[in-house]
Amino acid sequence: MSAAPQAPLFVREMGLPARFGLYFLLGLFLLALDARYTTLAQVRAGVNALLHPAQMALAWPWEWAQHVAGFFVTHGELVVDNARLREQRDRLGMDLQDRHALVAENERLRALLNLPTRPGMSAVVGEIMETAPDPFSRKVVINRGSGHGIQPGLPVVDAVGLIGQVTRVFPWTAEVTLLTDRDQDAPVQNLRTGLRLIVSGQGSDNQLVIRFLDMHADVQAGDLLHTSGIDGVYPAGIPVAEVVRTEPPRHTPFASAYCRPLAGVGRYRHIAVLRPEPAVAAPASKGGRR
Amino acid sequence: MNGDKPLLPQGAELVRPPTRPMVYLCLALALALSLLPWAGTIRWLVPDFVLMTLLYWNIRAPRLAGLGTAFALGLLIDVAHGVLMGLNALAYCTATFVVLMVRRRLENFDAARQTPQLAPVLVGKEALVLGLGLLLGHGFADWRWLAAGVVGAALWIPLVWTIDRLTGRPESSGAREPG
Repeated sequence: MSAAPQAPLFVREMGLPARFGLYFLLGLFLLALDARYTTLAQVRAGVNALLHPAQMALAWPWEWAQHVAGFFVTHGELVVDNARLREQRDRLGMDLQDRHALVAENERLRALLNLPTRPGMSAVVGEIMETAPDPFSRKVVINRGSGHGIQPGLPVVDAVGLIGQVTRVFPWTAEVTLLTDRDQDAPVQNLRTGLRLIVSGQGSDNQLVIRFLDMHADVQAGDLLHTSGIDGVYPAGIPVAEVVRTEPPRHTPFASAYCRPLAGVGRYRHIAVLRPEPAVAAPASKGGRR
Repeated sequence: MNGDKPLLPQGAELVRPPTRPMVYLCLALALALSLLPWAGTIRWLVPDFVLMTLLYWNIRAPRLAGLGTAFALGLLIDVAHGVLMGLNALAYCTATFVVLMVRRRLENFDAARQTPQLAPVLVGKEALVLGLGLLLGHGFADWRWLAAGVVGAALWIPLVWTIDRLTGRPESSGAREPG
């Protein structure tokens, strides 16, 4: 240690240029080795393992300081950000709800459009505007009236099945009595046995009843009831209800059966009124256009 | 007795000669300085503290820091910066060699006069690294990095002053007046 700084009296080493030349060649060799081959990866990894803790230790206070500074600087920003994001979230939530509603409505409208039209009937698609403010009846007002060819007595369906009947008609609107109204009946036919029945509303949105059922009638839970078409009001074959359970006679000589309406009675906004086609379609006259 | 200039020209004051641990500690500090996580936006302005310290010791005590030290430090820097092995080693060796060639002249100058002579070395080292990188197909060379050499030259005086104070070298002995 003591003799280190002084130059030795007798120099026994290579001259400076020679040593530099050697180091230069060694450097070039290393460069070429590292650039062309991967043999130095191990060496590099080893040296890096030694250096890395030092690097981490050096970086730590630096990062910590930045962390603290960031905490204080950004607190105000966080408050602003938070308010802005909250507002944005609410707006997006509303948008999302709108979107859900639109998607569902779109699906129902598509189903209505795909409604197989029955021979002799055409569908007038309408929208429910309001429900009658009467707790004892199930009636809705639709935005189709006599101006659209609606007449009293026409059946009203949705994409699945019957939901009611037009009972009153105004020029641009019409009142529809739903299947579930207390006074509304529909003649149906058991799809399984062909038995003709009459289902009546009960004033409940999801229950229909068959009163005065013969106690030996072949009606079981799960039977599907379609319109029979013998009343001249409803066309035959519109799905109406599914039998949920039957009740044996108790105080009356008749049994009864409770049914669930198949269509979304009282649920959706879009319906279709089945309108009879004019008896003879007017032939399209080419001459009339000229 | 008298604080005036002595009548006869005096030699260098007696100073504690630098020791090997002192030199290595200095170099380690410089290495730590260059390993600091500098922000990427000013990274190209950060001078090569290791090379500057190395040159300082090569001027002051060439037997304690020579080409071998330069090469080893260069390899360390290569690994730490993740560049090709030998790139900085080569550059450090070259810079050290140039400085050792003119060492006899440099050691008689004070820091202010050393600056213009060392600036080409510092800038040249950056240019050498960039050139070698370009030559070895490391794609685009960012010539802004040459600024690090200029900044290094500007920081040469503070660096010399700092190391002088750290190693207990009196102010006046930094350089002998030429002539």
